[in-house]
Amino acid sequence: MHRLKLFHRVILRPMLAQPSRGLLTFVAVALGVAVVIAIDLAGFAAAGSFRSSMESLAGKASLELAGSTGIPEDTLGKLATLPIPVRFEPRVEEYITDEASGVVTSLIGIDLVAHAQRNLVLGDASGLEVLDHPRAAWVGAGLGRQPGDELRITIQDRSETLRVSGVFQEEGDQPGTNRVVVVDLPVAQALTGREGLLDRVEVEFPEDVDEAAVRAAVSAVLPAGVELRSFGARTDANRRMLGAFRWNLRILSGIALVVGAFLIYNTISVSVVRRRGEIGVLRALGVTRTGAQALFLAEAAAFGIAGGLAGAALGTLMARAAVDLLAATVNALYVTSTPGAVSLSAGHLAASLLLGLGVSLAAAFAPAREAGSIAPVEAMARGRRDYDVRVNAGRNALWGALLLATGAAFCWMPPVDGRPLFGYLATLLLILGTAMLLPLLITLLNAAAQRQVTRLFGVEGLLAARSLTGSLRRSAVLVGALSTAVAMMASVALMVGSFRQTVMVWMDNQIQADIYLRAAAPSSPDNYPPIHPDVAAALEALPEVAAVDRFRAVSLMLNGKPATLGFGDSQLMRTQGRTSFLPGQDRQAILTRLPTGPYVVVSEPFSQKHDARVGGTLQLPLPSGPMEVTILGIFNDYSNERGTVFGDAAVFAPRFPRQEITSLSVYLRDGVSLDAGRLAVEQATANRRVLVFTNRSLRAEAIRIFDQTFAITWALEAVAIFVAVMGMAGALVALVMDRRRELSLLRFLGASKPQIQRLIYFEAGLLGMLSNVVGLLLGFALALILIYVINRQSFGWTFQFHWPGALLLGALTLIYAATLASAWFPARVATRLNPIEVIHEE
Amino acid sequence: MTSRRQLLQLLSAVVGASAFGSHARAASSPWRLALPGYRYQFPRDHMAHPDFQTEWWYFTGNLRDQRDSDFGYELTFFRQARQVAPDARAAWQTGQLYLAHFALTDVAGGGFEHRERLNRPGPGLAGADASTGRVWNGNWQAQLTGDHDWRLQAVDAGFAIELDLRSAKQPVLHGENGIHQKASEAGRASHYISLTRLETAGTLTVRGRRMAVRGLSWMDHEFFTSQLGGNQVGWDWFSIQLDDGAELMIYRLRRRDGSIEPLSGGSYVHPDGRWERLRLEDFTLRTRGVWTSPRTGGVYPTAWDIGVPRLHLRLTAQPLLDHQELVSERRLGPSYWEGLMQYQGTRQGKSLSGKGYLELTGYAGDVDLSGQERGGLTR
Repeated sequence: MHRLKLFHRVILRPMLAQPSRGLLTFVAVALGVAVVIAIDLAGFAAAGSFRSSMESLAGKASLELAGSTGIPEDTLGKLATLPIPVRFEPRVEEYITDEASGVVTSLIGIDLVAHAQRNLVLGDASGLEVLDHPRAAWVGAGLGRQPGDELRITIQDRSETLRVSGVFQEEGDQPGTNRVVVVDLPVAQALTGREGLLDRVEVEFPEDVDEAAVRAAVSAVLPAGVELRSFGARTDANRRMLGAFRWNLRILSGIALVVGAFLIYNTISVSVVRRRGEIGVLRALGVTRTGAQALFLAEAAAFGIAGGLAGAALGTLMARAAVDLLAATVNALYVTSTPGAVSLSAGHLAASLLLGLGVSLAAAFAPAREAGSIAPVEAMARGRRDYDVRVNAGRNALWGALLLATGAAFCWMPPVDGRPLFGYLATLLLILGTAMLLPLLITLLNAAAQRQVTRLFGVEGLLAARSLTGSLRRSAVLVGALSTAVAMMASVALMVGSFRQTVMVWMDNQIQADIYLRAAAPSSPDNYPPIHPDVAAALEALPEVAAVDRFRAVSLMLNGKPATLGFGDSQLMRTQGRTSFLPGQDRQAILTRLPTGPYVVVSEPFSQKHDARVGGTLQLPLPSGPMEVTILGIFNDYSNERGTVFGDAAVFAPRFPRQEITSLSVYLRDGVSLDAGRLAVEQATANRRVLVFTNRSLRAEAIRIFDQTFAITWALEAVAIFVAVMGMAGALVALVMDRRRELSLLRFLGASKPQIQRLIYFEAGLLGMLSNVVGLLLGFALALILIYVINRQSFGWTFQFHWPGALLLGALTLIYAATLASAWFPARVATRLNPIEVIHEE
Repeated sequence: MTSRRQLLQLLSAVVGASAFGSHARAASSPWRLALPGYRYQFPRDHMAHPDFQTEWWYFTGNLRDQRDSDFGYELTFFRQARQVAPDARAAWQTGQLYLAHFALTDVAGGGFEHRERLNRPGPGLAGADASTGRVWNGNWQAQLTGDHDWRLQAVDAGFAIELDLRSAKQPVLHGENGIHQKASEAGRASHYISLTRLETAGTLTVRGRRMAVRGLSWMDHEFFTSQLGGNQVGWDWFSIQLDDGAELMIYRLRRRDGSIEPLSGGSYVHPDGRWERLRLEDFTLRTRGVWTSPRTGGVYPTAWDIGVPRLHLRLTAQPLLDHQELVSERRLGPSYWEGLMQYQGTRQGKSLSGKGYLELTGYAGDVDLSGQERGGLTR
């Protein structure tokens, strides 16, 4: 009770008296927490939950069978008659698009006759209508259809019409999320052109049955190329792969929180500094050290709790906005993803409270301890603490240098469990080290620049510069917060800019054919819808066409990790393409040798993920049995992150039971214009659902996907900078309030209102300039870590370093302008001060 | 034997009434009718008869392990033909559907388990293959091992059987030379063959415990195309294997108005294998006790007094376990009671006993037996 009253008098009352300051801190915490929560929620919905729609209607299987190009259905007959109490659920699966809504979802073929007997309940229309309607489909409630509706879908390179027989909801579904389309198994086989094949067989058996016995019995009847694995192994592998992606996003989202922490530190420090007198009186009246400390920790906690709660709510909203963007990224880089619903769980609510509270308390710890250490006698002596910081600036700088050195050393450490933990630590150490160097840096810079400042900006400039060093700690914290935000922005801009530039150059080399085609159905690095072979033949017959490269991509599991096997005409690639290999590898020699035996080349991310080297071998699980291949080279590839193994069609096509094509590259005859060629190709494929890209439109499409991929990154950066600039405004208001006496004295001494305003603007300008310079330097260092440590260790790509000059310049100017603008309000406050009143207060 | 029509009903529900049922459709049916003059030939006639629309193989048996514990099993295979579009793909065509039931009664343990399966032939999922003498549905199968001998194998979660069945007698052809008339018009009949005394030995697995068992099995094999009229609501069917080497099969069709179908009847098989046909007026049936199902509410007359005055035979029928009800959990078909029975009685004053099965249908809810409407599927 007593404590509460004290809290009310010392903390709450002044806070309520100046709500703008408290409000800004609260918003900073809330935003910081919200960003972290939003990224986690959206990441979970887009990638983490990864209850991919393909997993719908899964039973309680513990094992599953899968083959890279399907399982011959005869296998099912052999399995079903095995004398073991096991249920085998065959499935045919394909990603499709609902043409009416544009929703990407899964078509799942199951044995509906056998299922009619089992516990699956397909809604109310559980009749075996399947027997009478060859295009009958049952759809998830989320697709918003009624029985009897027609359902037009894009599947592979065609449009098909199904008839909705029933609508169903699965147990545990969130309402409206189930969009799966279920058809009878043979219908799915016909629709996908995989007659006689199954994609997967789920293996279900009771718990008391020995799994080893099941594995032995099942393995005995499996044909080559069919793998028996733990159920969900593919999902788990995908989840692990996506883990790194989500981890990086989380780290990025943490920046806003770090910036928020700087601001909490600032707020509590200001709070302590401003109430030194009161604290002294309280201590004299018998409040203990811990009591005083607790007061300010409680203030931080109040910010933390309020910010955490608001952050959770805001984060949920932000996640809803971000989830589609994230899903697009997952789709572009990893696997087909249909995002789930975003909903705030109790766990996330608790996490955001803990985050807000934890960050606030940690940031407030030092200033609160300072409050506790105030001796009653000292209470009168204002400014001593600031003096402390100045004399300790040297020692702080020493610590800072040590942190920087440690951070630099961490850059040479290997990844931990595939994650660049030391890289992340290095960035954190760099930020902290720089923050500790700041007081010294500011003092030095100021001393060096004072004369110029005075000459250029007159006495206001001098006063502003002096004030910065005068209240050194506060300015250091402000510069720390803003420069961290600037540094992160700059480093990400450098990394993404380098990445983008590298990809553009790579595409120029890679995209050499004139026209490209792929099926219109949804595709992603784990899923390649086929194009009918007739399409290739029809294109070859065109007079405009010189050559057609049939490319096939197959998703397979290698060493428990998903990868892509691709094969096409390597000689066309040699003569027409310009695929580049890692330095020291002879492109001509490698490509010439590729069709002559069991040889492959692998992409750079693949070599990194699978630790593959030139001259090494790989065991590829092909339908015709395992095949040992030798790696001839490592090529640059930025098309996906899973990794690609490429070989010649002459070597690999015969090892697959049926010939499929997943993309076509068309080379036009000399003298045929691109427009004419494209027109001819489009006419020849008019009856197919294929996407036709010209050389240029494919590049544009790739860059569009690239930019979309990084849109979320930019959004995070923007939030961090917004928080920092807002913190700047708040800090300046506090600065003005703190220096009321000084400013009033200046007025008494004859300073005009515009002069006072200029003073405030100069201070803001100096802070902004310092932050930009420090931030840019720090950002450059962080970019090096991002590109050469974190990216290399988690993705395995090589980038050419590139300065996105215009972008950086623009961003820095914007930030600088925002800093100046943030001084508008405090400047107004400063001029409105009534000098007489202020002096009277004292 | 018509007694399996409860399951037939299930099939009719699955495929829709259109394939079964009305006279009008039967007239244009592509399938053969069961008419007099059919020449039986074994083992050919133990296999499938695709000319006929419906067919079943029905194995029941009483078994005893080395500790004298009693068990009963039921393993049945059904085939149902449908008219389908000719362009349907062969493997997954629905022109033939296979349904199967597997049930096990553990008298001492008080356990009763049953399972149900429906499959189309698919890539070898179910079928009846004359060339290999095999009738199967997944890993439940009956393999012909001699002229009239079978080997049964069935595995499911929690229980399994592996049994060799040796027929001690020639097949019994019920009714008039195996033509079993169900209604007065020609063709309203089925071909009905029984192996009434199959000496059985093998193993039984219940909840992980595997044991050697011996006993007696009974097989019914029936194939036909036509259906009965719509006025019947259910039936009571008895198979009785007496310890003096004789067997008795009787059944009674109950009509909606409470009367009994006059074409009800049965067969008596002498120890030497000769058999004689029984008509409704040759036997008496009187209910002695009922069991009420806690799950379906059905009131089943499971205890009976049976009399066959012509043979001077009097028997009391008592179930070895009350709850041998096959509850349909999948909304596909009706529930019914089919269980292992103990028979006690006298012939000409000499006491005798026996075991067998009793099937009671149409007691758990009103069941449409005519196939005029769709069954539970769309309900």
